[in-house]
Amino acid sequence: MSHAVHGPNWPARFGIALLAVIALAVAVALAVTIGEMAIPLDTALKALGNGLFDLDLPVSAIQQGVIFDYRLSRAVMAGLCGGSLALSGAILQALLRNPLAEPYILGISAGASTGAVAVMILGVGGTAMTVSAGAFIGSCAALAVVALLAAGAGGASDRVILAGVAASQLFNAATATIVTTLASAEQARGVMFWLLGNFGGVRWPDLWVATPVALLGFGICMLHAKALDAFAFGADAAASLGVAVMRVRIVLFATTAVLTAVMVSIVGTIGFVGLVIPHAARFLVGAGHARLLPACLVIGAIFMILADILSRVLVPQQILPIGVVTALFGAPAFAFILYRARTPA
Amino acid sequence: MTLASRDIRWSAGGRMIVDGVTLEAAPGRMLGLIGPNGSGKSSLLRLLCRLRNAASGVVMLDGRDIARVPRRDLARRLAFVEQQATTEIQLSVCDVVRLGRTPHRAALASWSEADEAAVTAALSRVGLEDRHDQLWHTLSGGERQRVHIARALAQEPSELILDEPTNHLDIQHQLSILSLIQRLGITCIVALHDLNLAALFCDEIALLHEGRLLAAGSPETVLTEEMIRTVFGVTVAIRPGATGRRHIEYLIDTGRDAARALEGAKG
Repeated sequence: MSHAVHGPNWPARFGIALLAVIALAVAVALAVTIGEMAIPLDTALKALGNGLFDLDLPVSAIQQGVIFDYRLSRAVMAGLCGGSLALSGAILQALLRNPLAEPYILGISAGASTGAVAVMILGVGGTAMTVSAGAFIGSCAALAVVALLAAGAGGASDRVILAGVAASQLFNAATATIVTTLASAEQARGVMFWLLGNFGGVRWPDLWVATPVALLGFGICMLHAKALDAFAFGADAAASLGVAVMRVRIVLFATTAVLTAVMVSIVGTIGFVGLVIPHAARFLVGAGHARLLPACLVIGAIFMILADILSRVLVPQQILPIGVVTALFGAPAFAFILYRARTPA
Repeated sequence: MTLASRDIRWSAGGRMIVDGVTLEAAPGRMLGLIGPNGSGKSSLLRLLCRLRNAASGVVMLDGRDIARVPRRDLARRLAFVEQQATTEIQLSVCDVVRLGRTPHRAALASWSEADEAAVTAALSRVGLEDRHDQLWHTLSGGERQRVHIARALAQEPSELILDEPTNHLDIQHQLSILSLIQRLGITCIVALHDLNLAALFCDEIALLHEGRLLAAGSPETVLTEEMIRTVFGVTVAIRPGATGRRHIEYLIDTGRDAARALEGAKG
C-alpha cells in the first residue's frame, strides 16, 4: 500500500512513469529489431518515422513492411494483451481473495474462446456479431457458470478455483466439439493454432479495437483502486468501509470479462500471465492497488513483448505458440505461489 | 438516541434468525449483546450496520432509516469490527488502519494530513503506535484485534459495533480489549460470550434467545439467576463481586446437569 506520507510525491511519480516508458520503449525496440531478419536500430527508427509521421526516409520496402506492419503492430498488441491479462488477474485476485485467481484458471479465457469459435465457425449471430462480441458473451457465460458453481459449493474463496477448473473443462470441451465436428480441416488447423495464443496474424486494425478497450479498462480499474484495497479482509469488511460491494463486483467482473474477451478474440488464450505478473508486481510495489494496477499493466506488457520475442527465436525457422512460452515461465511460478499460499499445518 | 432497531426480522435458509428485535443503544454507552450460540447475535449486529438488509422492520440512525443512507455516509458514522477477520495479503499495521479512511476519501484523492492524523490518533488510542510498520501476519491475536479497532476508529465513527472481539484471546487480552472499548467514549454495541465480562464492562445488556430479545436493561435487571437458567440452561448463583459489579458463579450439579451446565458455560 502507498507509503507516501504527505500527499503525492510528484517528482518520484514522474520518475517512475518515465522509467516505465523507457522500459516499454526498449522492449518494443528489441521486438522490432530481433527476428529471422535482423534489422539495425537506426533502420527500425527510420521505418517508424515513415510509418508514424509519413516521412520519406530511405528504407527498403521489405524492411519497412516487416518493421511497421508486422513487428511493430505485433509488439504493441503483445503489450496490450500482457497488460490487460495482468490487470484482470490482479482484479480477480483482489475480488475473490484468492492468490490463484486469473482469467485462464477461472475458465474465462476458455469461455471467450468458445464464444469466438462459435462466431467464427458456426456463424452464430450472423454478420452483426463480431468475433470479439462472441468472445465477450462466452466470457460472461463462463463467469456466470463459475459464480453459480462456487456459490452452490458454499462460496468460500477456494471453491472458486475448483469451479473455474470445471468451467475450463466445460468450455474447452464445447470448443473442441465445435471444431472437430463442424470445422473444415483448414479451419480446424487455424483455430487450434490460434487457441494456443498467436500474435502472428495481428495487424493494425486489431489495435483500433484492443487499444481503447485496454486503456478504458485500466481507467475503470484505477477508479476502483481504493475499493479493491478495502476487500483485503473480505466483502463484509469492504461493505462496512462504505464500498458498494455489489456494484464494484459487477463493474469489475464485467471489465475483466471484456478485457479477456477482446484479447482472446485477437490472439487466443494465453495462460499464466494474469497469475504470475500481479504477484511479481506486488513483490515490487506492494499490495496497494493505486500502485499495483499500473505496475501490472506495464510489467505485463513488457513480459508479453519479451515472451513474444522468445517465441520467435527459441526454435529457428519456427514460431512457438505464445501460450507455450508463458506456460514455461508460468507453471513453475504457479507451483511457487501454491507453496507460499499453503495453510500452515 | 443514536442507533435503534424497530421490530427487525431476518431469515436465512427458511429459518428465522432474527425475529422481531426492537433495541436502542444509548449515546456514549456500551451495550453488551449476549445469548447462547446460534441465538442470532452476529446476524443482529450485521443488520444493525446494514451488512444484511432486514426483511422487515427498520434500523434507524438518528431517526433516519439506514437503508436510505448512502453506504459511504454510513461508514463515516458507523464502524464494524468483525470476529477474527484476516487476510493473506502482505499488509503492515498502518496499511490496515489506513483502510479506515476509505469512506473519507474520493476515488482519486491522495492521502491528506487529516487522513494521516486520524491514523496516528487511532493507533495511539489502541496503544500500537510503535507497531506502525510491523506486518499483519506477524501479530498475535490480541494485537490483530487492536489493529481492527484502530482501523474502525480511523473511520471516526460515533457508533462502533463489535462481534465478539475477545474470542480466542487469553484472559489478559480479553480484559485489556474490553477496557479499551469501554474507554472509547463512543456508542458501542458488543456481542460477548462471557457473562461475567459482560456484567463487568457493559453499561447495558441485551439478552437474545432464538432470535428474540428476551430482556434489555442494566446488568442487574437482565442477568438474573432465573433468566440465565431459562436461556442458557445453567444453574448459577449471582452476588456482588469485589469490583462492585455482579459476579456470576456457575453451580455444577451432578450427572447430566453437570454436563449441560459445562456445555452452557463454554458455549
